[in-house]
Amino acid sequence: MEEAHIIDSILVVDCGTVITKLLLLEHVGDSYQFVAQAEAQTTGKPPWNDLSIGVVHGVQELESIIGRTLYARGGITVPRTGREGVDAFVVILSAVQPLRVVLAGLVREMSLESGRRAVNGTYATIEATLSREGNLRAPQEMWARTVRDLMPDAVLLVGGVDGGARRPVLELAEAVALATSMLDEEQRPTVIYAGNRTLRSQVTKLLGDITHVVTTDNVRPTADSEHLGPAQSALEELYIEKRLRTAPGIERLSDWSRLPLFPVATAFSHVVDFLWHREGNADRGVLGVDVGAATTTMAATFQGRSYVSIYEHGVANGLIDWVETHGADRILRWIPAEMDRETLLAMLYNTELLPSTIPQTSQELSIELAVVREMLRSAVSTAWPTWDVGKAAMQATGAMPRTDPILISGGGIVLTPRPGQSLLAILDGLQPVGISTLLLDSSHAAPAIGAVAGIKPLAAASALESGTLVSLGTVISPVGQARPGEVVMRMRITYEGGRELNVEARYGEIEVWPLLEGQRATLEIHPSRHIDIGMGLGQGGRVEVLGGLVGLVVDARGRPVNLPSNPDRRRRTLNRWILDVGG
Amino acid sequence: MIIQHCIANPLTIIRTPRRLSHPGTVLMRTGDSVEPAQIVAQAIIPPDFRIVEVARELDVPLRSANSYLKVERGQAISEGDILASKGGFGSRVCQAPISGKVAGVGRGRLLLQAQPQIVHLNALVPGYIVDAELGEGVVIETVGGLIQALWGNGHEAHGVLRMVVREARHPIRPTHINASSQGSILIGGSTVDGETIQDAKDMRVRGMIVGSVPAGLIPQLREAGFPVIATEGIGTTPMTQTVFDLLRSLDGREASISGDIGNRWHPTRPYIVIPMPMQVGQVIRADTPLAIGDRVRILRGAYRGRSGTIHEMLARRVQLETGAHLPGASVNIGEGEPVRVPYANLERLF
Repeated sequence: MEEAHIIDSILVVDCGTVITKLLLLEHVGDSYQFVAQAEAQTTGKPPWNDLSIGVVHGVQELESIIGRTLYARGGITVPRTGREGVDAFVVILSAVQPLRVVLAGLVREMSLESGRRAVNGTYATIEATLSREGNLRAPQEMWARTVRDLMPDAVLLVGGVDGGARRPVLELAEAVALATSMLDEEQRPTVIYAGNRTLRSQVTKLLGDITHVVTTDNVRPTADSEHLGPAQSALEELYIEKRLRTAPGIERLSDWSRLPLFPVATAFSHVVDFLWHREGNADRGVLGVDVGAATTTMAATFQGRSYVSIYEHGVANGLIDWVETHGADRILRWIPAEMDRETLLAMLYNTELLPSTIPQTSQELSIELAVVREMLRSAVSTAWPTWDVGKAAMQATGAMPRTDPILISGGGIVLTPRPGQSLLAILDGLQPVGISTLLLDSSHAAPAIGAVAGIKPLAAASALESGTLVSLGTVISPVGQARPGEVVMRMRITYEGGRELNVEARYGEIEVWPLLEGQRATLEIHPSRHIDIGMGLGQGGRVEVLGGLVGLVVDARGRPVNLPSNPDRRRRTLNRWILDVGG
Repeated sequence: MIIQHCIANPLTIIRTPRRLSHPGTVLMRTGDSVEPAQIVAQAIIPPDFRIVEVARELDVPLRSANSYLKVERGQAISEGDILASKGGFGSRVCQAPISGKVAGVGRGRLLLQAQPQIVHLNALVPGYIVDAELGEGVVIETVGGLIQALWGNGHEAHGVLRMVVREARHPIRPTHINASSQGSILIGGSTVDGETIQDAKDMRVRGMIVGSVPAGLIPQLREAGFPVIATEGIGTTPMTQTVFDLLRSLDGREASISGDIGNRWHPTRPYIVIPMPMQVGQVIRADTPLAIGDRVRILRGAYRGRSGTIHEMLARRVQLETGAHLPGASVNIGEGEPVRVPYANLERLF
């Protein structure tokens, strides 16, 4: 939304689950820059129950840094008058409970799978799935009982290709109608119908008198096509209406802002989209991951199309649920020291009880980084089925489609003491292939920039170019079949001054070559016959790459990264990799 | 700066919300005095229901199913009652699977609803009702001691506090459970084991308060049937000395304890309320900025579980063992030099 007045200063408040971040963007000379930032405890939960309390404390800290007043007479002064206030104030949020959704559909691998992906596109959790599978004796009764007892915010009803199945979809709709009619009016879920389009009027007729019905395009219009956008938009609108607009203290913040509220994930995806257009490489995508306390967001743009997927676990909240589903060994396998299950569980429980605390010992940090790896693995497996590219390779080998750059954000990963620790966790978690520059959003400004793009695109672009993102380095990840220790790639690095370095990469190793932040180098890469660096098997070439806090990294461990099964060997391997990347 | 906080206070004004799990009726009014066992509100749990496929069970067409019905909408029924029948060749009957009433008729089906169940909510803590929200619950104000904990097993109770260990570092053991434990809320120092929990259950202990509980014991604790509260969370960390000393000073007093921790999106802290025959108590302002001299507890690292006072709010960032540099304070923990702790890992004690 464009404000009528000149916008020279923008205050962005990002209310996360644990931390509220405030960033002040100002017009300085010819560009827009982040001139100050502050943090405060998020105060949306007891004992405060008012997000604005944390915001006011953060604003006061910001005022002490910049030496001028932003908050006066009980509010943020918008627009700026003299030296007081800002020209625009925007709020983005993830600090509220996701939508609780019941998913109803027909076939698990078809409509229900598409419905699940649609739900994953916003902050929402699937509380139950209703389907005919499993030879239920009285399915309608069970479906109705499930909806009535769970009292979800929404029922996403999918099923039937356009012009296809009718009766089974209507049976589901009848059960939802029955359940909804048994609930008090204010408890009734919104029904989003995204199934067989020929049934829209019948579903609306069946449910419209009982509750609010939203009809959208079918998520699965044909057996082999998927169309998630409209259902995702309907869910996001509902999230904004039911969660963001009712968050404790949000009325006060909205009074000051007058701009629409944004979910953090949406704002983050704007930045990823911007990076894709800036890079202008049609043959590869741009990936962004935001590892937060409660959720892990994966935003990607391929061939100009944006995808957002929100995995409902982060580095603090929901860890015990995650372990109960996936097992503690998935986390223990990444810990480079001996640790028993009991110790791990105790730490995970305490992290969940005290999500705003920070790892203080090496052991605590190693657990957090192990959690980051697994959250990234899980987030990738949630996200890739929604992408229209690289599905065959992901299914066959788990190898990601080529993405460059990869944007890394979120307190769970950018706050590690040494950049090598972040880098290794990202490589283990995402396991990218080909050549990628890793950009670290060290001040967690990316969502704020995405939000600013909605008010003043020029300011957002300018802020992004002004050093907000820090390069960790360029990573080359060759994939293919080789024996451990076999040379899989030879490379000549030519630095800006003309100095040259000839290096080899051996299968199973990860190595770092010097290339400082801001430096560029030209690489002449020659992979061996069965190895692919994103240019085709055995195909090499010349590329210009960017340095970073870690340097130029060759991750020749293969995809997927395999850990030794012997615990001692595994720990030795993990420690060697940590040493190799300076972590 | 505001940081997370925890209340461990011998005399304060306590406001305890008591919420119904489902919409219901509040039985008290603002200003009413309540006792722990007193019912303050009640709710109707949505009743069980069944869909009876009359047409299918009688093997008749949907449109003619109504003509076979022996019951009508709103009629009370008992389990086994004949709902519909078809005589003649291939006669069939359709019986009620539950007792209740006929809630709906249509499309060849009957909707039967069981009798609704009523659940009662007691006050748990004594005091005065200061807020009676229509259909939702009440808030009870009490003057007395309040100790907030980190973890609880979801149960709640009212009983007499009984300190069974000498030091905060001592666990509760089976030898601490005896006939005098019956009906008491036992206070231990560090932790507890499965055998002790079983003995406590057999002895009908009313509740248990410890420093920490082992992660592996949690499934057993959830089934214990009495509240278990851990002031420091999960693991083996002994009870913070400040909290231990406060509980020791309250030994023998009546207390109400709740082990409810809410859920991931609406967390609550378990608590111990010790009512006092006083009219006034300290008013706690959660948004008061942190200052030198304030009492704090350390939540992570080598000094986890230790309490102390803010010695200095450091201008320079604190370097952690991990290598990270974060804003923090030095904390006087009562022995040796003050220790440096990032604010993120401190909790203010009110």
